[in-house]
Amino acid sequence: MASVTISDAIKKYGALQVLHGINLDIRNGQFIVLLGPSGCGKSTLLRMIAGLEEVTAGEISIGGSKMNDVHPKDRNIAMVFQNYALYAHMSVRENMAFSMRLKKVDKSKIAERVGWAAKILSLEPFLDRMPRELSGGQRQRVAMGRAIVRNPDVFLFDEPLSNLDAKLRVQMRTEIKELHQNLKTTTIYVTHDQIEAMTMADVVVIMRDGNIEQVGSPLEVYDNPANLFVAEFIGSPGMNILEGTIGEDSVGKTFDFHGFSMPLPQDFKVHAGQNVLYGIRPEHVITSTSGAGLQATVKVVEPTGPETHIYADHGDMELCSVSRERLALSPQSEVRFLPDIDFVHLFDAKTKIAILKSQSAG
Amino acid sequence: MKTPLSLVALRYAAAMFITVIFMFPIFWWGLTSIKPASDIFNKDEVVVFDFKPTLINYRVTVLGESPSMLTGGGTASGTTMGTGGENSFDGRKTIFDSIVIAIGSTIFTLAVSLGAAYALSRMAFRGNQLYLNWILSHRFLPPIAIIVPLVFMFHNLGLRDTYLGLILVHSLINLPIAVLLLKSFLDDVPKELDQAAMIDGATRWQSFRMVVVPMIRGGIAATAVLCFVFSWTEFLLSLFLTSEIRTLPVKITTFVTSTGSEWGFISALGTSAMLPSFIFILLVQRHLVRGLTMGAIKD
Ligand SMILES: Nc1ncnc2c1ncn2[C@@H]1O[C@H](COP(=O)(O)OP(=O)(O)OP(=O)(O)O)[C@@H](O)[C@H]1O
Ligand SMILES: [Mg+2]
Repeated sequence: MASVTISDAIKKYGALQVLHGINLDIRNGQFIVLLGPSGCGKSTLLRMIAGLEEVTAGEISIGGSKMNDVHPKDRNIAMVFQNYALYAHMSVRENMAFSMRLKKVDKSKIAERVGWAAKILSLEPFLDRMPRELSGGQRQRVAMGRAIVRNPDVFLFDEPLSNLDAKLRVQMRTEIKELHQNLKTTTIYVTHDQIEAMTMADVVVIMRDGNIEQVGSPLEVYDNPANLFVAEFIGSPGMNILEGTIGEDSVGKTFDFHGFSMPLPQDFKVHAGQNVLYGIRPEHVITSTSGAGLQATVKVVEPTGPETHIYADHGDMELCSVSRERLALSPQSEVRFLPDIDFVHLFDAKTKIAILKSQSAG
Repeated sequence: MKTPLSLVALRYAAAMFITVIFMFPIFWWGLTSIKPASDIFNKDEVVVFDFKPTLINYRVTVLGESPSMLTGGGTASGTTMGTGGENSFDGRKTIFDSIVIAIGSTIFTLAVSLGAAYALSRMAFRGNQLYLNWILSHRFLPPIAIIVPLVFMFHNLGLRDTYLGLILVHSLINLPIAVLLLKSFLDDVPKELDQAAMIDGATRWQSFRMVVVPMIRGGIAATAVLCFVFSWTEFLLSLFLTSEIRTLPVKITTFVTSTGSEWGFISALGTSAMLPSFIFILLVQRHLVRGLTMGAIKD
């Protein structure tokens, strides 16, 4: 177990810079998820921590010692690769035993560890099969097994569940989480699946184009997105974003949009005339068939069981609302969307950074 | 859909026909080797099966028995009998020489080219591609173009007429192809495998030996066959660089003399010469399998 510190890490491939000064402090035992769209540099950062990519500039240290020039084999890390990278010429058992064989661990101890990992991952029936005789999901579990049989300081996972079916994915998610709770090994987990990030992480790191956009606990990131990118990236269906200006009426500041004026919490640090983006999550939009709210025409209704997603058009804008009530809505019918103003997010139209509320409001 | 029986039969017939065409020269060669001299060239008719089989040609070339004793002094040409009483058709040493040189150069080529191919495939260094082209360009030269300098160099280095000398020369010719071939096989092994091994605690050498090499077993086997067959059949360089040591192709040409060609001995030694390479290929063949990296990565 160890902490991992990344300071001002930069990565360039020739002239192409893919990481622009990453700073990250990962405490001992934390489960941290790197989340971001494809190509944002998650794998690259993970591979730099593993020692598989050179660090162009900056410093990476594990357990307090600088690792920039330490060979991967001496970092005491275990990694699950995005494409598994199984040893195709070895059986499942040999794949998992390989690291211990290199360390000249006792045969009986190896058998014990492999048995333990196989049990956790339900790989017992496949121990003597070759990787080519396994399904994608089974291969992925072998890759997991190869990592967990060791006792590393840090686990590095690069989208380890991306190839599993929905049910197995949920099951493995819990399995990994449980494993982490038992072993308490520092874990860095890359994914572009926000559900995985939300459910597993102690800390979520949201990345875009080689930069960190926000670091925080899953709920912090969800409830208080630092900028528009995070707000739109986290949450499904995504946050509704309206573009407008701050106005003022007899009560106080309002958000003016398409000639429609909506009340705002008064503690937002905004001034009249400011161009802003108004964000509201679908579950904070109250749907009704009459009364106050933005008028919209229902386009699609998606019942998921516990809740219903309602997509409706307001002018040329698509808005979404999530309701737990069983509303009898059909396409083309008219609805009213009323935002719950306690959950409104405002972003500056130019900088896209979240506009905070004044401290007094607590 | 089931293939109609007639079509299956047709396919087999076609395959058989082509095989027969290709096998015929070898068959004829083998047949010649067991014919008595008088039936090899018969000016009146082509003798196919109508002859008394004899093993004389083999006894002379492979077992080293004296031809004059066996034939009573009556071979096809008679006058080409071993000078000084020794049997100049004895092929035993030549087979040994050829085996040593072919196996030696195959092993040497593989050892060097594996290292080179691994470096070219795995390590990014300046001029990587240029270097590859440069390696290949060596193969553009016909061997005859380098023979004169080679003879001088070998003479001065004391490598003329040595096993080592010929092993080096054959390796020299084989290396470019071997490097390119092995590199292409190595390129097919995902880099993540080396990396996974390193993370599992392997040194570069260990990951090479325990993970990478087993995965390109098939490629190594194919390369080995190519190198072996080249060395086994190479004529020109061996002719110029050896005198005591004789490889099979060179030795066989000495059976063609100004006074006549010993077709019986030539075919007997030639047929026997197929055997070692056949055995070699057989040994290597079980490694000639595709898809060794199957299952390693997400497809
Ligand atoms: N060897 C390389 N040479 C040049 N550019 C590279 C190389 N490897 C990655 N990149 C670039 O670096 C960027 C980040 O890649 P990376 O693999 O880290 O993305 P990622 O966040 O893991 O994406 P994904 O979710 O698709 O796996 C990409 O734009 C990619 O094109
Ligand atoms: Mg990736």
